Amino acid sequence: MADIKAVEVSQKKNIRLNNTAVLFIILVVMFSVFSYVGRPFFFSKLNLIPMLNNLSFIGIVAAVLTMVMVSGEIDFSIGGNIGLTACLTALLLSRGLPGWLVVIIALAGGLAMGAFNGMLVTVVGVNSILATIGTMFIWRGIGYTLTNGESILAMNPVIDYIGRGFVFKVIPFPIVLLVVVFVITYVIMNLSKWGRSIYAIGANPLASYLSGINVKKIKFINFLLCGMTAALGGLILTSLSAVGMPQHGQGLELVIISAIILGGTMLGGGRGQILGTLAGVLILSVLYNFLTIMNIYYFYIQMVQGSVLILVVSAYEIRLAMAKRRI
Amino acid sequence: MVKNDDLILKMENITKTFPGVVALDNVSIDLYKGEVLGILGENGAGKSTLIKILAGNYIKDSGGIYVDGQKFEIKGPAEAMASGIRVIYQELNTLNNLTVTENMFVGEQIVKGPFKIVDWKAMTKRAEELLDTLNVKLDPNTIIGDLTVSEKQIVEIAKAISKEAKILVMDEPTAALSEEETQSLFRIIKTLKSKGVSIVYISHRLKEIFAITDRVTVLRDGKKVGTLKTKETDTNELVTMMVGRDIKDMYPKREVPIGDTVMKVKNLTAEGFDNVSFNLRKGEILGIFGLLGSGRTSLVKVLFGANKIKNGEITVNSKKVNVKSPAIARDEKIGLVPLDRKVEGLALIMGVKENITLANIKDLGKSFLIAKAHERKKVDKWVNEVGIKTPSVEQEVNSLSGGNQQKVVLAKWLESGSQIIILNEPTRGIDVGAKIEIYKLMQDLCEKGSSIIMVSSELPEIISIADRIIVMSKGRFTGEYLRKEASEEELLHVACL
Repeated sequence: MADIKAVEVSQKKNIRLNNTAVLFIILVVMFSVFSYVGRPFFFSKLNLIPMLNNLSFIGIVAAVLTMVMVSGEIDFSIGGNIGLTACLTALLLSRGLPGWLVVIIALAGGLAMGAFNGMLVTVVGVNSILATIGTMFIWRGIGYTLTNGESILAMNPVIDYIGRGFVFKVIPFPIVLLVVVFVITYVIMNLSKWGRSIYAIGANPLASYLSGINVKKIKFINFLLCGMTAALGGLILTSLSAVGMPQHGQGLELVIISAIILGGTMLGGGRGQILGTLAGVLILSVLYNFLTIMNIYYFYIQMVQGSVLILVVSAYEIRLAMAKRRI
Repeated sequence: MVKNDDLILKMENITKTFPGVVALDNVSIDLYKGEVLGILGENGAGKSTLIKILAGNYIKDSGGIYVDGQKFEIKGPAEAMASGIRVIYQELNTLNNLTVTENMFVGEQIVKGPFKIVDWKAMTKRAEELLDTLNVKLDPNTIIGDLTVSEKQIVEIAKAISKEAKILVMDEPTAALSEEETQSLFRIIKTLKSKGVSIVYISHRLKEIFAITDRVTVLRDGKKVGTLKTKETDTNELVTMMVGRDIKDMYPKREVPIGDTVMKVKNLTAEGFDNVSFNLRKGEILGIFGLLGSGRTSLVKVLFGANKIKNGEITVNSKKVNVKSPAIARDEKIGLVPLDRKVEGLALIMGVKENITLANIKDLGKSFLIAKAHERKKVDKWVNEVGIKTPSVEQEVNSLSGGNQQKVVLAKWLESGSQIIILNEPTRGIDVGAKIEIYKLMQDLCEKGSSIIMVSSELPEIISIADRIIVMSKGRFTGEYLRKEASEEELLHVACL
């Protein structure tokens, strides 16, 4: 009897591991097929470096938003945050502020936006979907107001380096940032006490509160970090495009949330893996890049992206329903 | 009296399993027209599961259900209702902002005219008629929220019989009722019976089984022990069938030396109770007995910092404490094993390990990181000491039995070093074997110098296990007894004051 149960457990563990592993297998297969079909351009430095740069800021924001979502909340304002940060950065540079100071102000602005979201959710008690849809519009509106709706050139050695610099002359700096953010969030979520609390809060906020966990504080800090990383994403995007404009990051919140859900994080919290999010971001980006270089019409690409999300989420649901039926 | 044509319901060889538990194992019952069939069993015996299958809330794994001799596959609640099966649950499903009439006809309003306009007049009249058949005086225009629990129950019964109800199931209907209210419920049951309605009456209170049922089916650990005519049996026989052992073995009590006062509560007032004072002493099990709505759960929540104090003070180890939050309560070494462990006590989708260390995450390692070996060692110790039966510490607590889940909650507070442990209905929904283990564990803890506040509505349990019993009613303390002075009748009487 005990043996049978032990087998069941190890199987269960495999399934959990598999969710992320399966995603990476899909990614490798996709990548191989695309490299062959899209030869010779797809698998070339000329294509891959810009692709990685473009996915870097998506991945950075997705990693930290995963923490927010595992805790059972969500942040739709990240796209607006990116837009406002881009405008603020370009505007401050145009006023002649030094690049390093602009970076600090932009990140502080991100923190402030995160703090505002966190306060609405944890102190006032607004549902995070509504609170952050609200602030999404507000951030972008401020961006439009600051720039009068125009694009502002953003050229500065420091800013340029954030999106287009190379470490040791070969590794793009945004990729370094991406790796650093993923390593940090992985350590937090998988190895730290704080990550344990985040998972517990997502699994059962009431029981966590009744076990003495400071639920509000942890959620607040998650929003704070999410705001700051979105601002970092905004800096990278400004640098890559060399302009700050209020349209930056428009619709990106949905792309990022899609990637996270693709990676296995559940709306409602409690379940989700940082590596799953990484896989989700890579799959969506590789697919998008491939379709683009194959000259597929942009409208069709959108339909494909949407279909992939629905397909994967349906697969999760069917699997869950099958597991439940056994009960 | 009983002819075979009168057989109205037959449930045959019903089996239902949940992960880790066989909730029902080949259980059969039969019900005749106009009779009251008692279903008797301890918590966790399978009574509720059986009813949920009949009501279409659970799907059986195997077995057959026959209504009026015809095989009947119940796939959902709507089908069960269509065939005349109505269930009054222990937790009433009234909509508290609506009136009596609105509640009775929710989802099946009487309409008139081509545009199907709601016919309030007809509905109010029908509501009055229904209440009349039950011989109760109640204004159909009253808002349900203003009624007492027993009146709400009457409304539910009236609603149940508003459409052809052939079979009326009542799940522990007296849990929140006073003696008088119970008597009036019995009168209603007799009225219904005379009208030919068959009633399944679920209870674990023997007195009621003798007072109202014609026959009784006893369940234990998901199995049917037997069906008897109520007139031909007695308490001893039923208890032995129900518990499967002598009543003495059921409630093992050890005398533990009781020390000095560790917690002192003075003139405590908050939402739900008023001006409450008591002392808790080292090594003591203090029982708090009260019916539903007596304020017992509010009191527990205030002691644990989950509800606000309006007035009064709490002293722990001669130090005045301001328990503003569960985190502070935990730091003062107070732990709470809550009423509903799945909602308030456990992160169900996490493992046994994560749940045991849930209230003491800061002690998982010296740095920011979790020291995995350190955690594993602590968890293994508690699994062993508390006797949690689980295939591994990684197992999701979701799939453990109620008894093992309860032990995980208890282990969580032991891990956080609690010295005062509050248990709200410690043995609700767990099987007899696990119950006995929980009682033993509680006394082990007292021997090691902890103190326990046990809130319970189970009379035999509280009378046998608690050293001292305080009775609560309508937010006040109405009596205090040492174990030796207490009797079930006396406690129940005082709880209704």
